[in-house]
Amino acid sequence: MNELAIELQAVYKSFGRTEVLRGVTLQVARGKTFAFLGRNASGKTTTIRLLLGLLKRDDGATRVLGLDPQVEPLELRRRVGYLAEDQTMYGWMRVEEIVRFVAPFYPTWDHDLALKYLRDFELPLRTRIKHLSKGQNVRLGLVLALAHRPELVILDDPALGLDPIMRKQFNRDLITHLQCEGRTIFYSSHLLYEVEPVSDEVAILDQGRIVRQAETESLRRDVKQIILSCEAYLTIRQHLAVLDERDDGDRVAVNVERAQTAMQLIAREGIEHCVVDLNLDEIFEAYVAGRRGVTSAAQPQAELQPTC
Amino acid sequence: MFLRIEKGSAVPISRQIADQIATLCASGGLRPGERLPSVRELARELAVNQNTVLRVYERLCGDRLLEMRHGQGTFVSGRASKTRFAAHRARLIDELRQITRQAVGLGLSPDELHELLAEAADGVTPREPAAAIEEPKR
Repeated sequence: MNELAIELQAVYKSFGRTEVLRGVTLQVARGKTFAFLGRNASGKTTTIRLLLGLLKRDDGATRVLGLDPQVEPLELRRRVGYLAEDQTMYGWMRVEEIVRFVAPFYPTWDHDLALKYLRDFELPLRTRIKHLSKGQNVRLGLVLALAHRPELVILDDPALGLDPIMRKQFNRDLITHLQCEGRTIFYSSHLLYEVEPVSDEVAILDQGRIVRQAETESLRRDVKQIILSCEAYLTIRQHLAVLDERDDGDRVAVNVERAQTAMQLIAREGIEHCVVDLNLDEIFEAYVAGRRGVTSAAQPQAELQPTC
Repeated sequence: MFLRIEKGSAVPISRQIADQIATLCASGGLRPGERLPSVRELARELAVNQNTVLRVYERLCGDRLLEMRHGQGTFVSGRASKTRFAAHRARLIDELRQITRQAVGLGLSPDELHELLAEAADGVTPREPAAAIEEPKR
């Protein structure tokens, strides 16, 4: 059996003259909870629509559950649960009506399971969809995405518009109903502090490229801020994987990848410094909005192009 | 067992959980032989990835602070109170260092610091013999 649930290899996609994805490569192992992070308009939804075969890629390769979404979109969608970002359901339908409406699309639909989820999520069966709250709406979407027992669940920014209590409850739902059953979850978000407790792995998408994919915990170990004098910094800068740097005249705060190596180097050189742990928001910011340019230095950077 | 997760903190979630459990063990909030919630229960309660909770439990078992009994669950270790003491002691020393650094930053002299610590110690009554932090004699 293929160990990967999702595999993208150098995928390109443009709309007219706008290049949205510029060589996206990522792998999601089965059974993992994978958070797909990016700013607004970074290409998250386009990627997700490609995964489901709702869009055609211009170049590259895509495998989802071992299938090419462009070749076998229907077979694929039977095995995937999908919650769209702007999911619109018929507002005039009642909750129980839409469940019965959606069921025949899926051969593996488990109606008892659907009813169980509706009960667990405390959804009112007789209420019309247009009268549901935003939180209830997301949960109803989740019921419809899960009741056919998909191997893979793709959620496009499910926490969007939920209040903090609902978001925590939603995370709990993910853990109870999906993680505990060993399913693969691929979900996009821009709320990093919500993603961190839940995800095994994260990928950061920026300007149509994956700038980093890593296990959530190892990412935090790998990216740190080091504060040291500008003078010392300039002597070792070319050996560091710099994401972002700021200076206040004589000292510089630099966010680096491969922090262990960087710290060993700094210790070897006997440079006075201090190391600051970063939270996921700061790490994300370093990748997608990293700025470089310490006064008196103009060495070219090979690691990453400046963004923004 | 009450744990608190601070989201968006610079301290990784796994370390937050591990530190709090270790502190509870050392302070007697969790007693030797006491059963911890299952990985699933704790993951759900905290809304935290199961693998994270599992890794924390495994690590604390490695530190001999907890033990997994096959088919029964995870328990506070009864035997390894020495390890527990050592780990907590190391943490305490670390915290004292940080406090000292702050005190020096505030301009307190070592003598003043000693005096404050003595005062604080006066206000604390010795713990009952059952205290988990006590170092075993034998």
